[in-house]
Amino acid sequence: MPTKQRGSYRGLRQYIVTILFVAAAIPFAVIGGSIYHQYRTSIRKNVTLQLTSMVTHHKESIERFLTEITAALMVTTDLVPCDKMETGALQNVFNSLQKEYGHAFEDMGVIDSKGDHLAYVGPYDLLGKNYSQAAWFKQVLEKNVFISDVFLGFRQVPHFIVAVKQGEGKCGWILRATVDAARFGSLVENVRLGRTGDAFIVTREGYYQTRARVGGGVMEKIEPGSINLSPFEGVKFWEVEDSKGHKVLRAKTWMKDNNWLLIVQQDVDEAFSELFATKNIAMVVFLLGVFLVAVVTFLTTRLLVRKIERADEEKKVLDEQLIQSAKLASIGEISAGIAHEINNPLAIMGEEAGWMQDLLKRDSLKDMTEMADFKDSLQEIAKQAGRCKEITHKLLSFARKMESVIKDVNVNELIDDVVDMVESEAALANIEIIRLYHEHLPLIYSDPSQLRQVLLNLINNALDAIKRGGEVKIETGIGEGDSIAMKVSDTGAGIARENLSKVFDPFFTTKPAGKGTGLGLSICHGIIEKLGGDISVTSEVGKGTTFTISLPLEQKRGE
Amino acid sequence: MLEPRILIVDDEERFVTTLSKRLTERKLDVVGVYSGKDAIEEVTNKLYDVVILDVKMPGLDGVETLREIKKINPGIEVIMLTGHASVDSAVEGMRLGAYEYLMKPCEIDELMEKINGAYELKKDRDERIRQAEIRRMVDQRPA
Ligand SMILES: [Mg+2]
Repeated sequence: MPTKQRGSYRGLRQYIVTILFVAAAIPFAVIGGSIYHQYRTSIRKNVTLQLTSMVTHHKESIERFLTEITAALMVTTDLVPCDKMETGALQNVFNSLQKEYGHAFEDMGVIDSKGDHLAYVGPYDLLGKNYSQAAWFKQVLEKNVFISDVFLGFRQVPHFIVAVKQGEGKCGWILRATVDAARFGSLVENVRLGRTGDAFIVTREGYYQTRARVGGGVMEKIEPGSINLSPFEGVKFWEVEDSKGHKVLRAKTWMKDNNWLLIVQQDVDEAFSELFATKNIAMVVFLLGVFLVAVVTFLTTRLLVRKIERADEEKKVLDEQLIQSAKLASIGEISAGIAHEINNPLAIMGEEAGWMQDLLKRDSLKDMTEMADFKDSLQEIAKQAGRCKEITHKLLSFARKMESVIKDVNVNELIDDVVDMVESEAALANIEIIRLYHEHLPLIYSDPSQLRQVLLNLINNALDAIKRGGEVKIETGIGEGDSIAMKVSDTGAGIARENLSKVFDPFFTTKPAGKGTGLGLSICHGIIEKLGGDISVTSEVGKGTTFTISLPLEQKRGE
Repeated sequence: MLEPRILIVDDEERFVTTLSKRLTERKLDVVGVYSGKDAIEEVTNKLYDVVILDVKMPGLDGVETLREIKKINPGIEVIMLTGHASVDSAVEGMRLGAYEYLMKPCEIDELMEKINGAYELKKDRDERIRQAEIRRMVDQRPA
């Protein structure tokens, strides 16, 4: 059943494709995956390291700035006695510090120990204000040095102050400087970290001290829970999705006695852009690889399965051929046995009839009235015995055809033998077999049984080609050199030009599947070549086909 | 003219008896036996010119019988009879000195031809042997 077989080949193909593909793709995926993982880990480590160093350095530079301005204020209070710090002197100090610290201050004031603003340099009208109830004032009295968080104060503008206390009791006073919030903000924000890099400070209570590019303005409260504000040592990382849905990688560290949390952040997309680019390339390479593996697997398998299919077909044909020849051989053996056994009784019958004929010649029987009838009957017995003998001898010679013997062959007689075998079949199909013999055809030294096989094949092909009504012509003649020529022509359908060169190829057949093995002509070709001859074909579609065989008179010995 | 003395050897008894009658009818001196063993005994005890010998026989087969006959009397001519399947044996018989082989069933005329041929050959050879012996006797006569 061809469909069932085809199905099993499809199954085989799917099986092999799956196995090969999985076997090839799994290591591919494992290696690709582990390389990617390694790469990812190392990139993450790099990015983390970079952020750590960034946040650490940034913290240091911000702290350095605060320390320096604090120190500058302290030096000033040390040098100036308390009663000398009126507005004129303060203006001088303010100018020199602004010069030294690049206009880091917004204003500066002197406040006595009761909280009264004694002297002021700056854009606001703050003289005479009392700070005794301000939180920062209480802090600075207690600690001598104080840096505030950002607050609004009397001026109602976000700012933060640095204040130092000098002296005790009656001579105690406070120098207070307001840091320019914009300048401080730009110092904090000034972080060199790609396009999306940002830095900002949040108080322990969760208020922005500087502007965050994505988040909030100064003094705004952070979104509850968006930043963990519990204190820790060193640097911590976390990944968060901001309000716009960007994934952001953040590093944070506490500074200013765990009051300010410095946060440095970068979009994950940018931080890992190299990784993502590599990931994309790796993905493309991986997919290409998988595709390639799939294509190669598919093609290889198809080739393989086709080869198997073809081998199976050839094997099937050979098996059929083998069975056929085994059948013929056993028919030959049985025929030989039967013929031999029949020959003995046949010989006796012949002798008995002969003896009776002998007796009839005697004078004593000459007067027998039914003599003529008697003789006729005996003759008939002898004749029929002769027919039987012919049959048995034919059977026996058929059996002997299985053996390969090289001997002198009369090709005309050989053709007669073969034609005898097919003549009745041809007559049934209304096909005439015409023999045109060369009268003095020389004997050739060749293998008669194999020649018979070739001829039988050619004549059968001719009959098949004609189907009904037509003629097969068999000619013999002298060929070129020391050879004879044999031609078998038919008035059949002919062979298409494109098939003509293939007719001697093994397994080539134009007959429907299962009808012809396609081995006939290739075997003929093989036999004729082995016998040192040559076989060729000419054909015209609609007119017929002619096979021409030439055979050497003498086959080369030892071949 | 002396009748040729013929021995027919075949395990098919009826074949032997009928063929014997037919050959006798044709003026031959015929004896028939049904086995190789009997044939050997026959040629040991009597003189024969031609033996017609079946190839396929139970017991001693044609080829072995031929070998024995040729040992006893190399001058006897033997015609092998075969049922075709044993042509190879017949050919071997020819190699061992048989005169000819015939396939069963055979025409009486053909058989007669072969018998005559064999007999002529034997007679011819016997004649030459006889002359050679006479020559030898003449040569050996004391001068
Ligand atoms: Mg017998």
